[in-house]
Amino acid sequence: MYLYNEFDQTLVNERVEQYRDQTTRYLNGELTEEQFRPLRLMNGLYIQTHAPMLRVNIPYGLLSSKQLRMLAHISHKYDKDYGHFTTRQNMQFNWPELERVPDILADLASVQMHSIQSSGNCIRNTTSDPLAGVCADEIEDPRPYCEIIRQWSTLHPEFSYLPRKFKIAVSGSPKDRAATQVHDIGLHVKKDEAGQVGFEVLVGGGLGRTPVIGQTIAPFIAEEDLLSYLEAILRTYNRFGRRDNKYKARIKILVRETGLDTFKEQVEQEWASIKDGQLKLTNDNIQRVKNYFTPLNYETANDEALEQHLANSGAFRQWFQQNTKAHKQAGYHVAFISLKSPTCPPGDITNVQMERVADLADQFSFGQIRTTHDQNLALTDVKSSDLYALWQQLTAQKLATANIGTITDMICCPGLDFCSLANASSIDIAQGITDRFTDSAIDTGNISLKMSGCMNGCGHHSIGEIGILGVDKKGEQWYQLTLGGSDSHQSKLGERLGKAIAKDDVVDAIDDIVHVYKANRTDNEDFASTLQRIGLQPFKDKVYDAH
Amino acid sequence: MTLIKNSEIVQDHWAVLDENQALQADHNIIDLDYWNANKDALIASKAPLGLLVQGDTSPDQFIDNIQHFELIAINFPSFVDGRGYSLAKTLREKHHYTQEIRAVGEVLPDQALYLTRVGFDALELSTKEAGLLALEKLNEFSVFYQAAAN
Ligand code: HEM
Ligand code: SF4
Repeated sequence: MYLYNEFDQTLVNERVEQYRDQTTRYLNGELTEEQFRPLRLMNGLYIQTHAPMLRVNIPYGLLSSKQLRMLAHISHKYDKDYGHFTTRQNMQFNWPELERVPDILADLASVQMHSIQSSGNCIRNTTSDPLAGVCADEIEDPRPYCEIIRQWSTLHPEFSYLPRKFKIAVSGSPKDRAATQVHDIGLHVKKDEAGQVGFEVLVGGGLGRTPVIGQTIAPFIAEEDLLSYLEAILRTYNRFGRRDNKYKARIKILVRETGLDTFKEQVEQEWASIKDGQLKLTNDNIQRVKNYFTPLNYETANDEALEQHLANSGAFRQWFQQNTKAHKQAGYHVAFISLKSPTCPPGDITNVQMERVADLADQFSFGQIRTTHDQNLALTDVKSSDLYALWQQLTAQKLATANIGTITDMICCPGLDFCSLANASSIDIAQGITDRFTDSAIDTGNISLKMSGCMNGCGHHSIGEIGILGVDKKGEQWYQLTLGGSDSHQSKLGERLGKAIAKDDVVDAIDDIVHVYKANRTDNEDFASTLQRIGLQPFKDKVYDAH
Repeated sequence: MTLIKNSEIVQDHWAVLDENQALQADHNIIDLDYWNANKDALIASKAPLGLLVQGDTSPDQFIDNIQHFELIAINFPSFVDGRGYSLAKTLREKHHYTQEIRAVGEVLPDQALYLTRVGFDALELSTKEAGLLALEKLNEFSVFYQAAAN
């Protein structure tokens, strides 16, 4: 993985001191609340219902065991012994004290981490495929490009006061595991006919109040032009994006109001004047970063011991089938660590669990951990013969719930319990669904369920196969259901099922939906295909006739 | 007002044209309307001239006349409005403007460094203290991932 050189380290250290001074001046009354706000946001500090919330970047979802131990340490020393993994592969701490945040940042800097631009109207952490570098269908490892983008976007002087936040995701495989179509910019690694690496560029995707699927603005941009093209898009957005209404300030609205063709013309005009300037990447630039992502030292291994264990243990078999994936290297597997156990809010992890996962990464997976946009973790390079031992140890930490991809592996925002914008709670609904489906989840098959406590859509409800959105009806908590969304390489927004549903009926309604699916599916048909074939009506009938 | 130019506090000998539109002898900063209405006379007078624009002013509106201006002042109506950064960068990088580009309006000390990195060589701060703090803030970072505009 990428390692800071002296230059990178100096920058992060200086940032810590800058923020320490800003915090001191704020506490002394030398900076007003309004002036301090963008400064703290650009260091990942929100002010929430109960306390500040600090978001720490995990660049493209890659952590070393040492870094994970530091997150454990921080959660213990400054927070309540747990952290929360987000849908953008980052970690959030829900209870830090504002006064101590500079110390947290210093601790992070000591392990080459930071929270720079993890919120605020600037370029956020670049996200990517959690299986980058290990999946067989990859065209090219996206991580070096993510790192190049990280450096270019970090403390970018021109793009730190954008109309609104700006998110970039990069996928290196045709099968999009980074939700690039719902990002402000989505990049797909491509090769042209000459075998030259480049990117298809999507623009204007996003969730939130107005969910939009991104559109292709350029079918192929050569890798050397990556940064100049991004800069051209950002400059066009910074100049023309709306600033009169924060709900209309994302690039998706600009693209819609300008029209993709005109927007593209503006970008390309801008690009023409900077394309051959300082931002042009040389082979050396790219190779220097690529050298940090060379293949790991895999041993010659096979699946014999694994087959033995699979034959012997049903519980292990179940976990193996649900929570592991093939690896491009023979004799290795990817193992997902579910953070959706029945006893814990989705995405939460305790300091002790973090320590243990760090140990397991050292023991079994080259000391590296990935975070996924489904709020789980992955050890991506586990020898097949070690999987059984890994499973046993995960089980002891309640980290082996065999539910990856199932209905209980849901995405859910903090909702009313922590968030001042919420219309409705989501954690108790999530708990209800977990309780209802824990025993039948695997048999039900993979269904992505996503839930947000309000239309800001932090829980990605609009791209869930089942989406749940909390709405307020005269001070009461109600829930709007949608079906058929997708965050795959063909992202889609879900369709409304019908009227909102009262809180007490939500879990039953989900149960009804699952029943209709199970009653109608053929053989191995997945949820999306069944829905496509039979349409929304049977689901409507069942849910609304019953209540 | 305190003016920082090239990392020093300096005396400001420019005046912004006021509502009565009374010019001083020279070193006037005028806006686009005034320029368009009085262009010929202003050129004839040969007095040093500055132009005040907004962050969202398109360079197309004045770029053909830019040789008449010794200074371009870019106004920040609010410190969170980042358009002026892109405008300054465009003037430096695309149009190779080499004279003074000045940040005016709501400009905070914590922004001084980014402003200078995109091409502002002059910053107008609201008070002496703000000016002194801005000078300190110019040295907050010794390394950058992005090349400076100049
Ligand atoms: C705890 C209080 C939180 C508050 C007040 C909050 C607030 C918001 C707001 C206002 C938006 C809409 C932004 C826009 O449309 O431009 C948003 C979007 C979002 N939030 Fe949160 N959020 C919170 C927690 C979280 C958490 C815990 C996660 C991760 C699990 C999260 C992930 C996201 C994502 C992914 C988006 C959508 C980004 C997009 O529009 O592309 N948020 N949030
Ligand atoms: S979706 Fe709404 S309720 Fe949920 S975290 Fe975001 S802003 Fe809060």
